This record gives sequence, C-alpha cells and structure tokens, in this order.
Amino acid sequence: MVTSTVGSQKLVLDYASGLEDLQPGMPIQQALARHDDARLVQADIPYYWTAFNEILDALEQRSPLVEGADLGCAYVGLDGMQLIYPDDDAVIKAVRGAVPDIYKPRMGIAGGKFPAYLAALHSPPGGYRVLTGDIRAFLEELPCDVLPVSAKSRDKLHDFGMHTLGKVSGLPAGPLQSQFGPEGRTIRELARGRDDTPLYPRMMEEIIEENATLPSVTVSLEAILAAVEALLIRIFSGSRLKGRGVRSLNLWTRSWSAESWERVIQFKEPAMDIKGIISRVRRALEDYPQPGPVEQVGLKINRLGYPGGRQNSLFSDIRAQDHLAEDIRQLELRQGGPQVYKLKEVEPWSRIPERRYALTPTSQ
Amino acid sequence: MVEDTGKTLRADTYKPVNTPEEVRVEENASGLPAAVRTPRRRAIAAIEDRWRLDDEWWRSEPLSRLYYSVLLASGEKMVLFKDLIGGRWYRQGE
Repeated sequence: MVTSTVGSQKLVLDYASGLEDLQPGMPIQQALARHDDARLVQADIPYYWTAFNEILDALEQRSPLVEGADLGCAYVGLDGMQLIYPDDDAVIKAVRGAVPDIYKPRMGIAGGKFPAYLAALHSPPGGYRVLTGDIRAFLEELPCDVLPVSAKSRDKLHDFGMHTLGKVSGLPAGPLQSQFGPEGRTIRELARGRDDTPLYPRMMEEIIEENATLPSVTVSLEAILAAVEALLIRIFSGSRLKGRGVRSLNLWTRSWSAESWERVIQFKEPAMDIKGIISRVRRALEDYPQPGPVEQVGLKINRLGYPGGRQNSLFSDIRAQDHLAEDIRQLELRQGGPQVYKLKEVEPWSRIPERRYALTPTSQ
Repeated sequence: MVEDTGKTLRADTYKPVNTPEEVRVEENASGLPAAVRTPRRRAIAAIEDRWRLDDEWWRSEPLSRLYYSVLLASGEKMVLFKDLIGGRWYRQGE
C-alpha cells in the first residue's frame, strides 16, 4: 500500500492487486483495519516528478508540443507532424520509445485532449486506443465523473440524474448553461467529445540538480549542512553556473523511512557564493524540522540570475533600467510603501482634466 | 508617459494628477476674472478663451465649471475655472 501525507493525515495513494476494496484518498487507519498485514510504502512525490520529467524530456524529443498535465498524464501535440509520423503506429512507436516499458503506458489518440485522455484511460496497459470520427457511441455510457470540471458540478449532474456522458450530451445548451453557468457549455462540449483546449507546453528552465546519500542516517543539523555544503561545492566548482548566481533553490531530504521533506528557498539577490546560501539553508533546516533521520540530501537549482552591477551587457540602456527598477524596489522595501510613481492614462478621453491621468507606483 | 502594463489600478495606490487648486480671484462688474492671487496679486491682461464643462450630472455632486484661459499681465498663461455650484475659483493645468 502506497501512502502519502496530506497535512497531519496519512492517506492511501495506491495499492497492489488483491487490495481492491481500498480506495485512493482513504485514511490509512481505515485501510489497515481491512488489511492489517499490508506493507506500507511512503510515496516519494519528488522522485516521481523527477522520473516523470525525464519522460517529458524524452517526449519532447519526439514532438515540440508536450504538456505534463499532471503526474503521470502527458499530452503530445501532433499537429503538422504527418511527415514524421505518417500513421498512428508510428506515433505509438515513438511514444513507447520515450517511456520505459516498466510503466506500461496507456495511450490514446484523438482530436482533443479530453477524448485522447478517455481513449488512453480505456486502453489496456502498454496498449493504445484511437478515437476518430463520431465518438458519441464510445462516450455514451461513460460516467460523468470523468469530466474534468469542478467536483461541485459533477455532484450536481448526479443530483439531476445525469449519471452518464450520453445523458449530458443529449441536453440542450440553454438549460445546462442556466444551471452550471459558463461551465455548462464546457460540460456539454466535453460530453460530446469536443475539447478545443490548447496544449500548454512546459516552461523551459535550466535546472541544476545534485544529491548525495549520507554515510549513515542522521538527525544532526551539522551533518546535513555539511552534506549540503559538499553539494554546493560540487555545483560551484563546475561550469554549469556560468557566472550566474542562485535565485531559487529547492532543498530536499529523504528519511530512512522514505519520508520526504522539501523547502524552496528564494534569494532576493542572486547568491554568488556558498556562504550566503548555507546561512539560508541552515535557517530553513532549523525552522522546519525533519520528519525522521535523514538518509539522502538533494538540491535543485531552478532559477539562476546575474548579480546586479556585475553583468556585462551590450544593452546598457536595458541594464540601466533594470538597475533603476531594482533601486526603486530596494527603496520601497526600506520605506515600506510606494515612493516612485509613473504617469498612467486613466480616462484620457475625459473632459474633466483631473480624471485623465494618475500616478501609479512603478512597482505595479 | 509609460507603456500601459494592462494592470488594474488599485484605488488606494494611485494618486490623481492635475487636481484643481483653489485660488482667490477678483471679479469685475461683469463677473469675469480681473486678477488672481497666488498669493501675490496678479492682474489679468486678457481672457483668451472661455468654455463651460457640465458633467457627472447623475452623481450627487455634479460638475459645473466655467473655464477661462487667461493671459496675465506678466505674460504668463493660466487656466482658471469657477465652480458654478460652489461659487469658488480654482486654478488647473491644461
């Protein structure tokens, strides 16, 4: 049984075959009451994301348009790729090549994200399903719980006796919109298998990652800090920073019981040396205690920046503007409120002179 | 002027520009401005333009102003208006 911690509660996230009477989201006590001999495994969400991001990286080698919608769910855009992938088999072969066999990915091909998701959901593990043409027969008997709309709307559909997509799609648009507002139209379109939501590709960001397993599990703050320092030395001594400083750092640890701890540390100015980072890391470790003895420590640097005043640039005007904006920001932080204003058009057409323009803080 | 960022203005952070500044104006027998005190007395040499502004009549405090673009004896130009509801005189940029 895979468990995850939400607030102070431990919940069932997934389970092995033979434990089908459990449900994801069920409190762990309730699950153990049914299967007291089940082996508990703590979910390692950061690791799952690392693995999933690797898959997304591989998918991006196959198509420029890849959306990582949720952990384990990815959409691949195929518009304009007919020459590379002449048929469905070629697409499936390419996607299979990007996902390790162990995951047995379910794949779906359709004209929109929602029907493609449903096609994948109803394909066998490792297999695929194609939905083309009139897909209403396929959607007819599917429960309306599959609709990616708010839980409130789904409950309301059940309250009205609209338990399947077939029943929902048969309704006229007017009554649906009057009951569900703007979501009513979405519900109707999705129930008819139409989804024109665009794909949202991932933001490209440069990530530097390092991690280390400690020689022995420890609760000592100094030992964890020493490990972090060693990782930072590794990062700073390499060539990956290219003269830039650290603006955002994701610090994570994993305890011997596989529990994860994670903090994001943001830097007002790019941190250019290890000393500056370590003092912030120390504070984070002191303020947010570890869930248990630590076995592994890792760093993920996902935002880099050049230090103010040291950047060499041909575009001196842009630099000057950046410096000015930074100086204003610092001044306002010290004074506790807006200090420098800019002129903005409010109602430039107004006959009343004092209505035409206003001063607004430069930071807005 | 800066480029419009498209962000919504927050009433508590923006400052109005070109708000009217109350001044003392000496009127002649016809009710036209003859001199303005800022606070020094400055004679008005000529009235170059005059226009009326009635607006926001739907509000509890509607606007009714009679504007004058005047030329002072010193050669300086100034825009004055008389608030036709309150009867006071104001100076305002163009």
